[in-house]
Amino acid sequence: MRILVSWLRELVPVEASVEELADALTRHGFEVSAIDPAPSVPDRPAAPADAVLDLEITTNRPDCLSMVGIAREVATIYARPLTGPTLAAAVPGEQPLPVTIEDDARGLCPRYAAAVADVTVAASPGWMAARLEAAGVRPINNIVDVTNYAMLELGHPLHAFDLDRLEGGELRVRLARPAETVRTLDGVERALPAGTLVIADAGHAQAVAGVMGGADSEVTGSTKRVALESAWFDPLSVRRTSKRLALSTDASYRFERGADIEAPVRALLRVQALLRDIGAGTPRGAVVDRYPIPRTAAAVTLRHARIRQVLGVDVEAGFVAATLERLGFDADPLPAGDGGSAWRVTVPAHRVDVGREIDLIEEVARHHGYDRLPATFPAAVQPPAPPSGALARRRLLRRVLTASGCSEAITYGFIEEAAAAPFVDGSDDLVRIANPLAETSAVLRPSLIPGLVDALVYNRRREHHDIRLFEIGHRFTAARGETPGFAVALTGASSPEHWSNSTRWGGQAPPIDVFDVTGIVGRVCDALGVAAVFEAPAAPAPGPLVAGRTAVVRAAAPDTATALTLGYAGQLAPGIAAARGLPAGDEAVYVAELDLDLIARAATDRRRMAAAPLPRYPSIVRDLAVAVDAALPAATVRGTIRSAAPEALRQVRQFDRYAGKGVPQGRVSLAFRLTFRAPDRTLTDTEVEQAMRVILARLTAEHDAQLR
Amino acid sequence: MPEAPAVGEVRAAFLAELGQAASPEQIQEVRNRYLGRKRGAVTALLKSVAQAPPEARRDLGQQANALKREIERALVERSGAVAAAPTPAGRQQPGRSARPGDAAGRSEPVDVTLPGRDVRIGNRHPLTVVREEIEAIFTGLGFEIVEGPEVEDDYHNFEALNMPPEHPARDMQDTLYLESPLRTPAGPPGTLLRTHTSGMQIRYMETHEPPVRIIAPGLVYRRDTPDLTHSPMFQQVEGLLVGENVTMADLKGTLESFLRQLFEPDTRVMFRPSFFPYTEPSAEVFISCVFCRDGCAVCKRTGWLEILGSGMVHPAVLEAVGYDPERLTGWAFGVGIDRIAILKYRVEDIRAFYDNDLRLLEQFPL
Ligand SMILES: [Zn+2]
Repeated sequence: MRILVSWLRELVPVEASVEELADALTRHGFEVSAIDPAPSVPDRPAAPADAVLDLEITTNRPDCLSMVGIAREVATIYARPLTGPTLAAAVPGEQPLPVTIEDDARGLCPRYAAAVADVTVAASPGWMAARLEAAGVRPINNIVDVTNYAMLELGHPLHAFDLDRLEGGELRVRLARPAETVRTLDGVERALPAGTLVIADAGHAQAVAGVMGGADSEVTGSTKRVALESAWFDPLSVRRTSKRLALSTDASYRFERGADIEAPVRALLRVQALLRDIGAGTPRGAVVDRYPIPRTAAAVTLRHARIRQVLGVDVEAGFVAATLERLGFDADPLPAGDGGSAWRVTVPAHRVDVGREIDLIEEVARHHGYDRLPATFPAAVQPPAPPSGALARRRLLRRVLTASGCSEAITYGFIEEAAAAPFVDGSDDLVRIANPLAETSAVLRPSLIPGLVDALVYNRRREHHDIRLFEIGHRFTAARGETPGFAVALTGASSPEHWSNSTRWGGQAPPIDVFDVTGIVGRVCDALGVAAVFEAPAAPAPGPLVAGRTAVVRAAAPDTATALTLGYAGQLAPGIAAARGLPAGDEAVYVAELDLDLIARAATDRRRMAAAPLPRYPSIVRDLAVAVDAALPAATVRGTIRSAAPEALRQVRQFDRYAGKGVPQGRVSLAFRLTFRAPDRTLTDTEVEQAMRVILARLTAEHDAQLR
Repeated sequence: MPEAPAVGEVRAAFLAELGQAASPEQIQEVRNRYLGRKRGAVTALLKSVAQAPPEARRDLGQQANALKREIERALVERSGAVAAAPTPAGRQQPGRSARPGDAAGRSEPVDVTLPGRDVRIGNRHPLTVVREEIEAIFTGLGFEIVEGPEVEDDYHNFEALNMPPEHPARDMQDTLYLESPLRTPAGPPGTLLRTHTSGMQIRYMETHEPPVRIIAPGLVYRRDTPDLTHSPMFQQVEGLLVGENVTMADLKGTLESFLRQLFEPDTRVMFRPSFFPYTEPSAEVFISCVFCRDGCAVCKRTGWLEILGSGMVHPAVLEAVGYDPERLTGWAFGVGIDRIAILKYRVEDIRAFYDNDLRLLEQFPL
């Protein structure tokens, strides 16, 4: 709402400067977003310091989409009288305009007022045109301008029809007929959806009620008689129509937020006064007013004690009553009861936002001043709950991942369908957005990896060589719904560059491979209290990964007999990164993604662990190298070693894998370092040698292993 | 006790071989022959301790271990001497065996101005840094941190927050809807991406008895075209306190404390009337501009920056969750983490947070 300050001063006599006014309005909830220079207004005394205040009016205050509404606030702030605009005296006598509200339209149009005037269409006087322009309304002709001027003053939308272009010289308020159309003032032929409220003549629709008039009855230079409409339309109906037609106007904006149902006749009398003042027309006959069920004013009880209970400050009773009165409420003191003093407050029709006590307390708070509220602290009445397991796990996860050299990314929750497709079994599993901003954000991410890949490519194209990213976030699929997870994406060198590194990789560490990503995932799982195992997946590999270079991550959980599949880790199919713009010839990208809900099921809470006592006896270390079939998973060999060994075997560490000279074709040499230790005594060599013999025998029996 | 003959023999053989070693590789071979875990001579010597007669075991063990330390030191010194010798190219030789800092006891000087080995530690995202800071402040004020789904149903996102269908206030938050409803673990299927984390107010109060003291951080979505200050996805923290005798003055005191901890201790805080459907009275909260003393482009020459929205919980919201608004009052606030990060770290473009450019991410505190 654009407020010309000199116009405002006509309605309320305040001496405050433009800046003071702007500040006061802002502090009372009407943010002044700009102070613009005022246009010069012909035929009006030049105001020395005039300006246009551009006010933000919140949706709950349609009454302030008007000069009078803002003037009422200013009058309350400065405790000055409010002068309303001059109205014409009501003309008695006949009502020359037949107005019918059809039965099925009554609910949407509880009040319809209209008047007829003989007019001489011309340009508006300069002062009126200048004020309209200051308010951001384009002057058209004196008749249309008068209706707009009255709307700006009083906040009530009006419309003028060329009466001689109305078939039958009558107005009918009704619902649109099937397939009915109307050509609106903007020249667009619009199909009217079923149920649209229209204003029609005897033949067809002449206006979309509360939204826009029709071109067929538009006021033109040859118009001689006008029908002036001043009605009150159901806010929801206007809002629906405005949305369906994608047509928002000054009128629809006000009606959908809630106009003043008591205003229609007043607005017509104001239009008549303005027509007379500028010599544009004279009323013919009396005002028509179809208002079958007049509004009953709401009355709300306001308790003085409740104000303190909500605001935490005592506001003087006299100030409360005076403020409400100035704002247009009637505040009648109630007999003092148990709870102290109270008022019975009658709500004026223009305050559509006020219906209960809290609405009045807000008025008191605004005018008392937020800056005068004390700053206190709420009493702590109960201890806070401890952080949830999920939150604690995520914080730990973030710590381990950053300690692994991965930086955290946050990527968009919606992605391109093509990027999402490899991460679901079928396109039915994708969750689509009905009204996406763009094709590139049309589906919810089924996986965190596509976003990470994009971030990785973004950095790779900006000369970043070694990239380690992770993200913790939600994924969405039709089958599983919304699930929390985390993912990593790695490329580049496996450790930081250093001048002392081998020259083999040009001063850099060797490139990342599968074991970097399984290593990180293993460390994370361990930290979260999950005993994860990495398995070669039963063919085929998870869609977006390279077969043979991907592990599924599994772990046992107490609530299920079969191990849970937490996710996977491995090499990303090169085509996926290439499709997202990874430069050709770049190093491979390795990724992993695990489900945090499943991790929660498999995890033991390591915060509740007991420390193991430190070993009191020395350990004995033995190395073991065996040749086995190259296709045999190393984890199987390690498992056999463990199962064949006595309890004293504390650790099995694989430190070598070798194929080539000295190892037969199709076989591979695996070397393990075995640590034996007993908790209660020093082991003897004999015991350990015996254990090693048993282990070797078992490896030979089960895997045809040969000692090397 | 005199030195065992076996110890002396191993030492003599070692010293002879070490004297011949002229390259890092040769030194490594010598190391393997003596200290190797499988066939190293010293290793074998140490193993033999167990077979020695009980009365000799202790001394033999001590001598063998002493020899091991002696050999280790000698190896280190020898490799240092080899590395320090001028190479044909006249530069320090890269490669593992040339590592100059291998062990204690070295004394040759090295060029300490050569770059140290980097320890790679990843960074938290700047929005996480801010989020965790906010979480820590409110945890200190006794608030519980709660989280909820990003796909919400209309009731929790709008209706229970005093925004019935077709309420004009819904225009304030342009919403992204799903093509078909998404199942949720409990409650009605989700139909939209939450436009704020305020829905958590409802979810929490539906399942908990008062008093309530929570913050709800998380991602939210709006159908906003991205620009310098708008992102269609951003992070928000919602706060809610409900109980007996909770006042707007408490809201003011709490938010002042929060903002002074988050920014500077002398930050000034201003409350201004505003409108949100789920709070009444509602307040927009401003802080004194972090960029200037008397007006700049960022604060539009006002000296104030809008930082969050807040207010007293609307009685209709309390009624929606079955709380008695006569007995209970409460306040709520919502703050954009991205906005805070922009102001705290002087980032000009909100979109930079979602590009995940490592040149930006790596600047933030670990
Ligand atoms: Zn500034």
